[in-house]
Amino acid sequence: MIFQLLVGNLTHGLLLGGVYGVATMGLSLIFGVINVVNVGHGQFIMVGAFVALTMFTALGLSPVIAIPVALVLGMALGFFFFYTVMRRLIKAPELTSLLATFAMGILLEEIAKLIFGADFRGYNWAVGKITLPITTIPMSKVYAFVGSIVIALFLYFWFSKTRLGTAMRAVIEDNEGARVCGVNVGWIYALSFAIGIGLTVMSGVLLTMFIPVGINPYMGGRYTLKAFVIAVLGGLTSPYGAFFAGLIFGLIENGAYTLFAQIPGVAPFPLTVSLAFWMLFFLLLVKPTGLLGK
Amino acid sequence: MKKTLPKYYPLIPVFAAYLIMFLVGFSIPGMWQMVALLAFYCALGQSWNIFMGMTGYVDFGYVTFIALGTYGMSLGITYLSQYEWLGIGIIVIGFILALFLASLSALLEAFIALRLRGAYFAIACIGINEGLRYLIEGAKFWGGSEGLIFFGALVQALGRETVNQLTTFWADFSVFIIAALAAFLNMHYMRSKIGYALTAVREDEDAAKVMGINANKYKTIAFLTSGWLGAAVGAMAWGLKLGYVYPGDVFVIHYTVECIVVVLLGGAGTLLGPVIGGLIYGLSKYWLAVIMPGFQLLIFAPIIIIIIVVAPEGVVGLLKSKLKGTKLEMFIE
Repeated sequence: MIFQLLVGNLTHGLLLGGVYGVATMGLSLIFGVINVVNVGHGQFIMVGAFVALTMFTALGLSPVIAIPVALVLGMALGFFFFYTVMRRLIKAPELTSLLATFAMGILLEEIAKLIFGADFRGYNWAVGKITLPITTIPMSKVYAFVGSIVIALFLYFWFSKTRLGTAMRAVIEDNEGARVCGVNVGWIYALSFAIGIGLTVMSGVLLTMFIPVGINPYMGGRYTLKAFVIAVLGGLTSPYGAFFAGLIFGLIENGAYTLFAQIPGVAPFPLTVSLAFWMLFFLLLVKPTGLLGK
Repeated sequence: MKKTLPKYYPLIPVFAAYLIMFLVGFSIPGMWQMVALLAFYCALGQSWNIFMGMTGYVDFGYVTFIALGTYGMSLGITYLSQYEWLGIGIIVIGFILALFLASLSALLEAFIALRLRGAYFAIACIGINEGLRYLIEGAKFWGGSEGLIFFGALVQALGRETVNQLTTFWADFSVFIIAALAAFLNMHYMRSKIGYALTAVREDEDAAKVMGINANKYKTIAFLTSGWLGAAVGAMAWGLKLGYVYPGDVFVIHYTVECIVVVLLGGAGTLLGPVIGGLIYGLSKYWLAVIMPGFQLLIFAPIIIIIIVVAPEGVVGLLKSKLKGTKLEMFIE
């Protein structure tokens, strides 16, 4: 009985994990290239969720169309914030970049509250469900998972096959060396930041399939923290590492929740969240390069 | 040469500012609450700044100390108020408990701080903060997510009259003392062996170690000091003053960010900075809450971003460059 429950929940965890992976790739990319931890990361996910919600409820468009829209909007936001703020903070001490990205997050939250109000909202993209012997899975979640795999593969090809992608990897590896080899590092900074934010906003669209009534201007903070855990698990500077770490995190989260729920007298949900952070703490002490790191 | 400067002159403007704030709040009716709020921000900024200013580490999980301080006081009062003979002693014990809990967490975090740098340290500290919050809620100890409500117990133990005085005057007054103490300790550290050692470490850690400087020891001292002061503020300004504590109210990263904003506005790593920053931040927050309630953050966020980009050295940084070469220079640090 418990075994069936566990396997069922792990299946859901894997699907959610794919979305977590995409939601963290942007954080890792930005940290890898410009060495800035985006403390306002989750708020960009929130923007994506509102893009999906607005397009679905106001225009009746399916989330599939919201994905490219979110990417474009996210990249525009990324370029905007890069050229107005981040460009000046790349060489500055962490103090300023941490505070600046946090302030960006607050700004997005407050603008979203101004436009949409602070209520919890959601939408239901009814595209059927599949019934497995152990559990029932809504098709929307499956599509979100497939979407996250496609995005991850796309990014893989971008990094390995295109000139710009290779240049980005070069900057992550060795900033000065890339500059010497003729890479326009300034442009790579801007583009990486924009792509990082674009990916993050896009992941917000995918995430809405998992939170039927959880869209709210203040939903982001929680995902920032999860993204930290996942990013560290994946090695912090590696976008692929982040994707696989996302899958692992989704499994651990749902698995741990199922097991904690069996213990009487505790609150399983907060305990699961807590576990994630102790895991983070432990990882940072033992293996700061991440599970998949060298 | 810096060495010829009298040791503690830069403390004069800081103490003067605190004294004026106190007198204004004490003598003008209706001003006490606002002045207490300003002192709260100044004290937190000053305490946070000790570790950041001396080591360059950004403790993004600083609110953990404030929260644990609040819990220390709350636990002390909740579990000891039944022993009547302790009297006012429960507050003393609560305060000691606050410092004790903060020490534990500071040692744990210092353990990471000695290994990790920059972003990794900031993330680890956020991790500990959230881990503790959800552990309390999940494992349901210290009252779990329902928190501890002990105002009634406090009244029963000490009487309504005493409690009134404690919460409306002494809790706030102690924040002034903590703020002044933080400024003094900061100055003292800057002008003694630990300050020089940490400067050497910040400039070049390996070279400092070769010279025989025990970097870890000094970092830990600075971190513990910073943590104790934060816990003291939490114990008095939140625990004792409010009479309740919920994990979701106290382990909130926003408060760390407020500390950072205060410090950055005034001037990071300076002595006078947190005072000026605390005054600017506290006053504008108070004022915005009055004229446009609900929109403070919408206005603050872009202002913070602009300040970071335009004047990252803060007010004191600007002041220093203006006063360079004049007599007043020795009062600004």
